[in-house]
Amino acid sequence: MLTCRDLVARSSGFLDGHLRLHERLGVRAHLALCGHCRRFIRQMELSRAVLRHLPEPDAPELEALAERLACERRQR
Amino acid sequence: MTVVPTGSPSDAELLERLRAGEQGAFRELVATYQSAMRAVAFAIVGSRNADEVVQDAWLAVVRNLDGFQARSSLKTWLLTITANTAKSRLRQQRREPLLDDLPAPHGSVDAERFADNGHWQTPPGHWELDTPEALLAEAELRECLDKTVASLSELQSSVLLLHERQGLTPQDICNLLDISLSNLRVLLHRARLKVFATLEHFEETGQC
Repeated sequence: MLTCRDLVARSSGFLDGHLRLHERLGVRAHLALCGHCRRFIRQMELSRAVLRHLPEPDAPELEALAERLACERRQR
Repeated sequence: MTVVPTGSPSDAELLERLRAGEQGAFRELVATYQSAMRAVAFAIVGSRNADEVVQDAWLAVVRNLDGFQARSSLKTWLLTITANTAKSRLRQQRREPLLDDLPAPHGSVDAERFADNGHWQTPPGHWELDTPEALLAEAELRECLDKTVASLSELQSSVLLLHERQGLTPQDICNLLDISLSNLRVLLHRARLKVFATLEHFEETGQC
């Protein structure tokens, strides 16, 4: 039986879907019984979603760079 | 034999405008791909030389536009050029051990969270803010996350951004950065635990 520590160690593999069958079954069996770890997995999923939505820093030089590249291209 | 292009239709349309030297097309290209290119450069040459590598990579992109065959997506092509530019710049060994785990502002999910029998000693608590939108509405948290990402090693933060934000496949990341799949998974997992610790800290204390 997996411990909670084992579950945390396998959590990324579980979320990314690359655990082997027996590992995945072990994680599922643990989650069925452990509310703390179900909460942990939900919060890890939320953490990933937050990173996906985190706004990118603006690129202030965007227009100048685009102009320079377009210019280079037209000169070729 | 016909080569079936794997690039998307929007790639083809954008490519045509790029080849015509249209400034708006370059603006679109830079806005869409520059941060992924920067993450690749950052992972290979480190923060000091990353900007220069990205600039050089853009010039290489312009030089090679006519040679782009659309056998890969535009994104893969741009990132490959960036990785190659960075690698040719790299004269010294990686400056950091590959799996070096630097301390993060709010730690990680450490051993002391667990009792001797491996079960939670300090289990995760309830999170009041439980959607990305609610969490990211907090300006202080956004800054806090930027700090956490900045505290990661260069390779680790690049892996995290390329995987989570840019949506690159693990295989693409491994090819670009010359790392093994198992190292990628270790880097990604440790980075995620640090992000988790930052969110948990913010949920508990309301501050960074």
